[in-house]
Amino acid sequence: MSETFALPQVKQAQPNLQFLRVIPGVLLLAAIGYAGKLLEQNVGRYAKAHHWVFPNIEYVLWAILLGLLISNTVGVPAIFRAGVATYEFWLKVGIVLLGARFLLGDVLKLGGVSLALVALEITGAIAFMTFLGRVFHLKPKLTTLLAVGSAVCGVSAIIATQGAIDADEEDSSFAIAAILALGALALFTFPLIGHALHLSDHAYGLWAGLAVDNTAEASAAGALYSDAAGKLAVLAKTTRNAMIGFVVLAYAIYWAGKGQAETVKNKAAFLWQKFPKFVLGFLLISVLATYGFFNKEQIGALANLSRWAFLLTFAGVGLRTNFREMRKQGLRPFAVGAIGEVVIAVFTLGLVIGAQKIWGW
Amino acid sequence: MATTENALKKSPASRISWDTWAVLAAFLAAVLVRIGVIHRVPW
Repeated sequence: MSETFALPQVKQAQPNLQFLRVIPGVLLLAAIGYAGKLLEQNVGRYAKAHHWVFPNIEYVLWAILLGLLISNTVGVPAIFRAGVATYEFWLKVGIVLLGARFLLGDVLKLGGVSLALVALEITGAIAFMTFLGRVFHLKPKLTTLLAVGSAVCGVSAIIATQGAIDADEEDSSFAIAAILALGALALFTFPLIGHALHLSDHAYGLWAGLAVDNTAEASAAGALYSDAAGKLAVLAKTTRNAMIGFVVLAYAIYWAGKGQAETVKNKAAFLWQKFPKFVLGFLLISVLATYGFFNKEQIGALANLSRWAFLLTFAGVGLRTNFREMRKQGLRPFAVGAIGEVVIAVFTLGLVIGAQKIWGW
Repeated sequence: MATTENALKKSPASRISWDTWAVLAAFLAAVLVRIGVIHRVPW
Protein backbone atom coordinates (compact mmCIF):
# COMPACT_ATOMS: atom_id res chain seq x y z
CA MET A 1 0.00 0.00 0.00
CA SER A 2 1.10 3.52 -0.72
CA GLU A 3 2.83 5.48 2.00
CA THR A 4 1.04 8.57 0.64
CA PHE A 5 -2.34 6.88 0.70
CA ALA A 6 -4.68 9.25 2.47
CA LEU A 7 -6.82 6.66 4.24
CA PRO A 8 -4.58 5.34 7.01
CA GLN A 9 -7.42 3.35 8.54
CA VAL A 10 -7.40 1.02 5.52
CA LYS A 11 -3.78 0.04 5.96
CA GLN A 12 -3.58 -3.52 7.23
CA ALA A 13 -1.32 -4.36 10.15
CA GLN A 14 0.70 -7.53 9.50
CA PRO A 15 0.28 -10.25 12.09
CA ASN A 16 3.51 -10.48 14.10
CA LEU A 17 4.78 -10.49 17.65
CA GLN A 18 3.55 -6.94 18.14
CA PHE A 19 -0.03 -8.16 17.82
CA LEU A 20 -0.81 -6.60 21.20
CA ARG A 21 -1.02 -3.20 19.54
CA VAL A 22 -4.26 -4.24 17.82
CA ILE A 23 -6.06 -4.75 21.13
CA PRO A 24 -7.24 -1.12 21.69
CA GLY A 25 -8.70 -0.92 18.18
CA VAL A 26 -10.38 -4.33 18.43
CA LEU A 27 -11.92 -3.26 21.75
CA LEU A 28 -13.15 -0.07 20.05
CA LEU A 29 -14.73 -2.15 17.25
CA ALA A 30 -16.41 -4.35 19.85
CA ALA A 31 -17.61 -1.36 21.90
CA ILE A 32 -19.10 0.39 18.86
CA GLY A 33 -20.67 -2.82 17.57
CA TYR A 34 -22.19 -3.61 20.97
CA ALA A 35 -23.40 -0.02 21.33
CA GLY A 36 -25.14 -0.49 17.96
CA LYS A 37 -26.87 -3.60 19.33
CA LEU A 38 -27.96 -1.78 22.50
CA LEU A 39 -29.24 1.17 20.48
CA GLU A 40 -31.29 -1.15 18.25
CA GLN A 41 -32.89 -2.74 21.31
CA ASN A 42 -33.48 0.42 23.32
CA VAL A 43 -34.14 3.32 20.95
CA GLY A 44 -37.16 1.65 19.35
CA ARG A 45 -38.53 0.68 22.79
CA TYR A 46 -37.99 4.21 24.14
CA ALA A 47 -39.61 5.81 21.06
CA LYS A 48 -42.60 3.47 21.36
CA ALA A 49 -43.00 4.20 25.07
CA HIS A 50 -43.07 7.95 24.31
CA HIS A 51 -45.37 7.52 21.27
CA TRP A 52 -42.72 8.86 18.86
CA VAL A 53 -42.69 7.91 15.21
CA PHE A 54 -39.19 6.50 14.76
CA PRO A 55 -37.98 4.03 12.11
CA ASN A 56 -36.69 0.67 13.31
CA ILE A 57 -32.93 1.01 12.79
CA GLU A 58 -30.99 -2.26 12.83
CA TYR A 59 -27.75 -2.71 14.77
CA VAL A 60 -25.85 -2.86 11.46
CA LEU A 61 -26.79 0.72 10.60
CA TRP A 62 -26.24 1.97 14.17
CA ALA A 63 -22.73 0.44 14.22
CA ILE A 64 -21.87 2.01 10.85
CA LEU A 65 -23.34 5.40 11.83
CA LEU A 66 -21.45 5.46 15.15
CA GLY A 67 -18.23 4.60 13.32
CA LEU A 68 -18.87 7.28 10.69
CA LEU A 69 -19.58 9.84 13.41
CA ILE A 70 -16.27 9.16 15.17
CA SER A 71 -14.22 8.97 11.97
CA ASN A 72 -15.63 12.19 10.52
CA THR A 73 -15.63 14.32 13.70
CA VAL A 74 -12.86 13.56 16.22
CA GLY A 75 -11.14 11.05 13.91
CA VAL A 76 -9.65 7.69 14.88
CA PRO A 77 -6.75 8.25 17.33
CA ALA A 78 -3.47 6.57 16.34
CA ILE A 79 -3.61 4.06 19.20
CA PHE A 80 -6.75 2.47 17.74
CA ARG A 81 -5.78 2.38 14.05
CA ALA A 82 -3.95 -0.97 13.95
CA GLY A 83 -6.88 -2.66 15.65
CA VAL A 84 -9.50 -0.93 13.51
CA ALA A 85 -7.64 -2.18 10.42
CA THR A 86 -8.42 -5.75 11.54
CA TYR A 87 -12.06 -5.30 10.50
CA GLU A 88 -11.35 -7.29 7.31
CA PHE A 89 -9.91 -10.12 9.43
CA TRP A 90 -13.21 -10.27 11.37
CA LEU A 91 -15.11 -10.12 8.10
CA LYS A 92 -13.30 -13.22 6.83
CA VAL A 93 -13.72 -15.04 10.16
CA GLY A 94 -17.44 -14.21 9.94
CA ILE A 95 -17.72 -15.48 6.36
CA VAL A 96 -15.96 -18.79 7.14
CA LEU A 97 -18.22 -19.38 10.18
CA LEU A 98 -21.27 -18.41 8.14
CA GLY A 99 -20.57 -21.55 6.10
CA ALA A 100 -22.17 -23.51 8.96
CA ARG A 101 -25.54 -21.94 8.07
CA PHE A 102 -25.38 -23.21 4.48
CA LEU A 103 -25.94 -26.81 3.49
CA LEU A 104 -23.57 -27.85 0.73
CA GLY A 105 -26.49 -28.46 -1.66
CA ASP A 106 -27.67 -24.86 -1.15
CA VAL A 107 -24.16 -23.54 -1.71
CA LEU A 108 -23.83 -25.50 -4.95
CA LYS A 109 -27.29 -24.50 -6.15
CA LEU A 110 -27.09 -20.82 -5.16
CA GLY A 111 -23.38 -20.70 -5.95
CA GLY A 112 -24.12 -22.09 -9.43
CA VAL A 113 -26.71 -19.36 -10.08
CA SER A 114 -24.34 -16.78 -8.57
CA LEU A 115 -21.46 -18.04 -10.70
CA ALA A 116 -23.43 -17.59 -13.93
CA LEU A 117 -24.51 -14.07 -12.89
CA VAL A 118 -21.00 -13.25 -11.64
CA ALA A 119 -19.50 -14.23 -15.01
CA LEU A 120 -21.92 -11.85 -16.78
CA GLU A 121 -21.32 -9.12 -14.19
CA ILE A 122 -17.52 -9.34 -14.43
CA THR A 123 -17.52 -9.31 -18.23
CA GLY A 124 -19.97 -6.40 -18.42
CA ALA A 125 -18.26 -4.39 -15.67
CA ILE A 126 -14.74 -4.74 -17.11
CA ALA A 127 -15.90 -3.84 -20.63
CA PHE A 128 -17.87 -0.80 -19.45
CA MET A 129 -15.21 0.52 -17.04
CA THR A 130 -12.54 0.17 -19.75
CA PHE A 131 -14.78 2.13 -22.14
CA LEU A 132 -15.39 4.85 -19.50
CA GLY A 133 -11.67 5.09 -18.71
CA ARG A 134 -10.99 5.80 -22.39
CA VAL A 135 -13.79 8.35 -22.64
CA PHE A 136 -12.48 10.21 -19.55
CA HIS A 137 -8.81 9.85 -20.66
CA LEU A 138 -7.75 8.13 -17.45
CA LYS A 139 -4.33 6.46 -17.37
CA PRO A 140 -4.69 2.89 -18.75
CA LYS A 141 -3.43 1.23 -15.54
CA LEU A 142 -5.73 3.35 -13.38
CA THR A 143 -8.57 2.24 -15.68
CA THR A 144 -7.48 -1.39 -15.15
CA LEU A 145 -7.52 -0.91 -11.36
CA LEU A 146 -10.98 0.69 -11.42
CA ALA A 147 -12.26 -2.06 -13.73
CA VAL A 148 -10.96 -4.83 -11.45
CA GLY A 149 -12.16 -3.03 -8.31
CA SER A 150 -15.70 -2.63 -9.62
CA ALA A 151 -15.90 -5.99 -11.41
CA VAL A 152 -14.47 -8.31 -8.76
CA CYS A 153 -13.98 -7.33 -5.19
CA GLY A 154 -13.00 -3.84 -4.32
CA VAL A 155 -9.91 -3.09 -2.28
CA SER A 156 -8.38 -6.61 -2.18
CA ALA A 157 -8.63 -6.93 -5.96
CA ILE A 158 -7.08 -3.50 -6.51
CA ILE A 159 -4.15 -4.28 -4.20
CA ALA A 160 -3.62 -7.70 -5.85
CA THR A 161 -3.73 -6.15 -9.33
CA GLN A 162 -1.47 -3.23 -8.45
CA GLY A 163 1.35 -5.64 -7.62
CA ALA A 164 0.69 -7.86 -10.63
CA ILE A 165 0.68 -5.10 -13.28
CA ASP A 166 3.27 -2.77 -11.67
CA ALA A 167 0.74 0.08 -11.39
CA ASP A 168 1.60 3.34 -9.59
CA GLU A 169 0.70 3.40 -5.91
CA GLU A 170 -1.01 6.74 -6.51
CA ASP A 171 -3.33 5.09 -9.08
CA SER A 172 -4.10 2.37 -6.58
CA SER A 173 -4.96 5.01 -3.94
CA PHE A 174 -7.31 6.77 -6.38
CA ALA A 175 -9.05 3.53 -7.30
CA ILE A 176 -9.38 2.43 -3.65
CA ALA A 177 -10.78 5.81 -2.59
CA ALA A 178 -13.34 5.74 -5.42
CA ILE A 179 -14.44 2.19 -4.60
CA LEU A 180 -14.70 2.90 -0.86
CA ALA A 181 -16.65 6.15 -1.36
CA LEU A 182 -19.09 4.41 -3.69
CA GLY A 183 -19.39 1.47 -1.31
CA ALA A 184 -20.33 3.88 1.50
CA LEU A 185 -23.03 5.41 -0.73
CA ALA A 186 -24.32 1.94 -1.62
CA LEU A 187 -24.89 1.20 2.08
CA PHE A 188 -27.56 3.87 2.19
CA THR A 189 -29.01 3.69 -1.33
CA PHE A 190 -29.27 -0.08 -1.93
CA PRO A 191 -31.70 -0.91 0.92
CA LEU A 192 -33.91 2.05 -0.09
CA ILE A 193 -34.00 0.90 -3.73
CA GLY A 194 -34.59 -2.71 -2.67
CA HIS A 195 -37.58 -1.71 -0.52
CA ALA A 196 -38.93 0.64 -3.22
CA LEU A 197 -38.82 -2.21 -5.75
CA HIS A 198 -40.22 -4.73 -3.19
CA LEU A 199 -37.34 -7.11 -3.91
CA SER A 200 -37.44 -10.45 -2.10
CA ASP A 201 -34.65 -11.17 0.42
CA HIS A 202 -33.20 -13.62 -2.07
CA ALA A 203 -33.19 -11.21 -5.03
CA TYR A 204 -31.93 -8.27 -2.98
CA GLY A 205 -29.15 -10.29 -1.33
CA LEU A 206 -27.95 -11.54 -4.68
CA TRP A 207 -28.06 -8.02 -6.12
CA ALA A 208 -26.08 -6.53 -3.20
CA GLY A 209 -23.48 -9.31 -3.51
CA LEU A 210 -23.15 -8.73 -7.25
CA ALA A 211 -23.17 -4.94 -7.37
CA VAL A 212 -21.50 -3.66 -4.17
CA ASP A 213 -17.75 -3.89 -4.59
CA ASN A 214 -16.02 -4.20 -1.28
CA THR A 215 -16.85 -7.38 0.67
CA ALA A 216 -17.47 -5.55 3.97
CA GLU A 217 -19.89 -3.09 2.36
CA ALA A 218 -21.62 -5.84 0.35
CA SER A 219 -22.17 -7.86 3.56
CA ALA A 220 -23.41 -4.76 5.40
CA ALA A 221 -25.71 -3.68 2.53
CA GLY A 222 -27.23 -7.19 2.58
CA ALA A 223 -27.59 -7.32 6.37
CA LEU A 224 -29.24 -3.88 6.39
CA TYR A 225 -32.10 -5.39 4.36
CA SER A 226 -32.57 -8.60 6.35
CA ASP A 227 -30.65 -11.49 7.89
CA ALA A 228 -31.55 -13.74 4.94
CA ALA A 229 -30.50 -11.09 2.41
CA GLY A 230 -27.22 -10.70 4.30
CA LYS A 231 -26.51 -14.44 3.93
CA LEU A 232 -27.21 -14.32 0.20
CA ALA A 233 -25.13 -11.16 -0.27
CA VAL A 234 -22.15 -12.87 1.39
CA LEU A 235 -22.56 -15.97 -0.79
CA ALA A 236 -22.76 -13.97 -4.04
CA LYS A 237 -19.84 -11.76 -3.00
CA THR A 238 -17.78 -14.81 -2.03
CA THR A 239 -18.42 -16.25 -5.49
CA ARG A 240 -17.14 -12.98 -6.98
CA ASN A 241 -14.10 -13.09 -4.69
CA ALA A 242 -13.28 -16.58 -5.95
CA MET A 243 -12.76 -15.07 -9.41
CA ILE A 244 -10.08 -12.62 -8.28
CA GLY A 245 -7.10 -14.81 -9.24
CA PHE A 246 -8.33 -15.40 -12.78
CA VAL A 247 -9.07 -11.73 -13.49
CA VAL A 248 -5.76 -10.52 -12.01
CA LEU A 249 -3.87 -13.21 -13.95
CA ALA A 250 -5.55 -12.15 -17.20
CA TYR A 251 -4.57 -8.51 -16.60
CA ALA A 252 -1.02 -9.49 -15.57
CA ILE A 253 -0.60 -11.43 -18.83
CA TYR A 254 -2.08 -8.52 -20.82
CA TRP A 255 0.27 -5.91 -19.32
CA ALA A 256 3.28 -8.27 -19.50
CA GLY A 257 2.47 -8.74 -23.22
CA LYS A 258 2.78 -4.96 -23.59
CA GLY A 259 6.14 -5.07 -21.80
CA GLN A 260 4.77 -2.99 -18.90
CA ALA A 261 4.66 -5.69 -16.19
CA GLU A 262 6.65 -8.74 -15.13
CA THR A 263 5.89 -12.01 -16.95
CA VAL A 264 3.94 -14.55 -14.88
CA LYS A 265 6.15 -17.66 -14.82
CA ASN A 266 4.09 -20.12 -12.81
CA LYS A 267 0.40 -19.49 -13.48
CA ALA A 268 -0.88 -22.14 -11.05
CA ALA A 269 1.21 -20.71 -8.20
CA PHE A 270 0.03 -17.21 -9.14
CA LEU A 271 -3.62 -18.32 -9.01
CA TRP A 272 -3.14 -20.02 -5.63
CA GLN A 273 -1.36 -16.98 -4.22
CA LYS A 274 -4.18 -14.64 -5.28
CA PHE A 275 -7.04 -17.00 -4.41
CA PRO A 276 -8.91 -15.84 -1.29
CA LYS A 277 -8.39 -18.69 1.18
CA PHE A 278 -11.47 -17.79 3.21
CA VAL A 279 -13.61 -19.03 0.29
CA LEU A 280 -12.14 -22.51 0.88
CA GLY A 281 -12.72 -22.15 4.63
CA PHE A 282 -16.37 -21.22 4.00
CA LEU A 283 -16.85 -24.28 1.75
CA LEU A 284 -15.14 -26.63 4.20
CA ILE A 285 -17.29 -25.49 7.15
CA SER A 286 -20.36 -25.89 4.93
CA VAL A 287 -19.28 -29.47 4.07
CA LEU A 288 -18.74 -30.27 7.77
CA ALA A 289 -22.16 -28.83 8.70
CA THR A 290 -23.84 -30.74 5.87
CA TYR A 291 -22.39 -34.09 6.93
CA GLY A 292 -23.39 -33.72 10.57
CA PHE A 293 -20.04 -32.80 12.11
CA PHE A 294 -21.90 -30.18 14.19
CA ASN A 295 -25.22 -30.71 15.95
CA LYS A 296 -28.04 -28.16 15.77
CA GLU A 297 -26.97 -26.35 18.95
CA GLN A 298 -23.37 -26.13 17.74
CA ILE A 299 -24.49 -24.72 14.38
CA GLY A 300 -26.45 -22.09 16.32
CA ALA A 301 -23.32 -21.23 18.32
CA LEU A 302 -21.21 -20.93 15.14
CA ALA A 303 -23.88 -18.75 13.51
CA ASN A 304 -23.82 -16.41 16.52
CA LEU A 305 -20.01 -16.29 16.52
CA SER A 306 -20.28 -15.31 12.85
CA ARG A 307 -22.73 -12.51 13.77
CA TRP A 308 -20.32 -11.15 16.41
CA ALA A 309 -17.47 -11.18 13.88
CA PHE A 310 -19.66 -9.27 11.40
CA LEU A 311 -20.59 -6.80 14.13
CA LEU A 312 -16.93 -5.84 14.50
CA THR A 313 -16.67 -5.57 10.71
CA PHE A 314 -19.62 -3.19 10.43
CA ALA A 315 -18.15 -0.94 13.13
CA GLY A 316 -14.88 -0.95 11.13
CA VAL A 317 -16.69 0.02 7.92
CA GLY A 318 -17.91 3.20 9.59
CA LEU A 319 -14.61 3.95 11.35
CA ARG A 320 -12.44 3.72 8.26
CA THR A 321 -14.76 5.85 6.07
CA ASN A 322 -13.54 9.43 6.12
CA PHE A 323 -15.34 11.62 3.60
CA ARG A 324 -12.84 14.49 3.93
CA GLU A 325 -9.93 12.22 2.97
CA MET A 326 -11.91 10.75 0.09
CA ARG A 327 -12.62 14.21 -1.36
CA LYS A 328 -8.86 14.84 -1.53
CA GLN A 329 -8.41 11.96 -3.98
CA GLY A 330 -9.83 13.93 -6.91
CA LEU A 331 -13.01 14.01 -8.90
CA ARG A 332 -12.30 12.27 -12.22
CA PRO A 333 -11.62 8.70 -10.97
CA PHE A 334 -14.58 9.14 -8.64
CA ALA A 335 -16.78 10.28 -11.55
CA VAL A 336 -15.70 7.29 -13.65
CA GLY A 337 -16.30 4.97 -10.70
CA ALA A 338 -19.69 6.54 -9.94
CA ILE A 339 -20.97 6.33 -13.53
CA GLY A 340 -19.64 2.78 -13.80
CA GLU A 341 -21.20 1.72 -10.50
CA VAL A 342 -24.62 3.11 -11.42
CA VAL A 343 -24.55 1.27 -14.76
CA ILE A 344 -23.31 -1.95 -13.09
CA ALA A 345 -26.00 -1.64 -10.39
CA VAL A 346 -28.74 -1.27 -13.03
CA PHE A 347 -27.24 -4.08 -15.14
CA THR A 348 -26.98 -6.51 -12.20
CA LEU A 349 -30.47 -5.54 -11.01
CA GLY A 350 -31.73 -6.53 -14.47
CA LEU A 351 -29.81 -9.83 -14.23
CA VAL A 352 -31.25 -10.59 -10.79
CA ILE A 353 -34.82 -9.72 -11.78
CA GLY A 354 -34.41 -11.90 -14.91
CA ALA A 355 -33.04 -14.77 -12.79
CA GLN A 356 -35.88 -14.26 -10.27
CA LYS A 357 -38.43 -14.76 -13.06
CA ILE A 358 -36.65 -17.90 -14.30
CA TRP A 359 -36.18 -19.54 -10.88
CA GLY A 360 -39.27 -18.04 -9.23
CA TRP A 361 -37.68 -16.88 -5.93
CA MET B 1 5.72 -1.55 0.86
CA ALA B 2 9.42 -2.10 1.44
CA THR B 3 8.83 -2.00 5.17
CA THR B 4 6.14 -4.63 4.86
CA GLU B 5 8.38 -6.85 2.76
CA ASN B 6 11.21 -6.58 5.28
CA ALA B 7 8.81 -7.48 8.07
CA LEU B 8 7.66 -10.47 6.06
CA LYS B 9 11.24 -11.65 5.64
CA LYS B 10 11.97 -11.28 9.34
CA SER B 11 8.98 -13.03 10.87
CA PRO B 12 7.87 -16.53 9.83
CA ALA B 13 4.45 -15.89 11.42
CA SER B 14 3.88 -12.85 9.24
CA ARG B 15 4.44 -14.91 6.07
CA ILE B 16 0.92 -16.17 6.67
CA SER B 17 -1.62 -13.77 5.19
CA TRP B 18 -4.50 -12.23 7.12
CA ASP B 19 -6.73 -14.33 4.93
CA THR B 20 -5.16 -17.56 6.20
CA TRP B 21 -5.09 -16.32 9.82
CA ALA B 22 -8.83 -15.65 9.55
CA VAL B 23 -9.48 -19.20 8.30
CA LEU B 24 -7.33 -20.66 11.10
CA ALA B 25 -9.12 -18.55 13.74
CA ALA B 26 -12.53 -19.57 12.39
CA PHE B 27 -11.57 -23.26 12.43
CA LEU B 28 -10.18 -22.96 15.94
CA ALA B 29 -13.50 -21.49 17.03
CA ALA B 30 -15.36 -24.29 15.21
CA VAL B 31 -13.25 -26.96 16.94
CA LEU B 32 -13.82 -25.33 20.36
CA VAL B 33 -17.56 -25.37 19.71
CA ARG B 34 -17.40 -28.99 18.46
CA ILE B 35 -15.51 -30.34 21.48
CA GLY B 36 -17.73 -28.41 23.88
CA VAL B 37 -15.30 -25.80 25.21
CA ILE B 38 -17.69 -23.16 23.85
CA HIS B 39 -21.21 -24.33 24.72
CA ARG B 40 -23.50 -21.50 23.90
CA VAL B 41 -22.92 -18.16 22.21
CA PRO B 42 -25.56 -15.57 23.09
CA TRP B 43 -26.72 -13.00 20.55
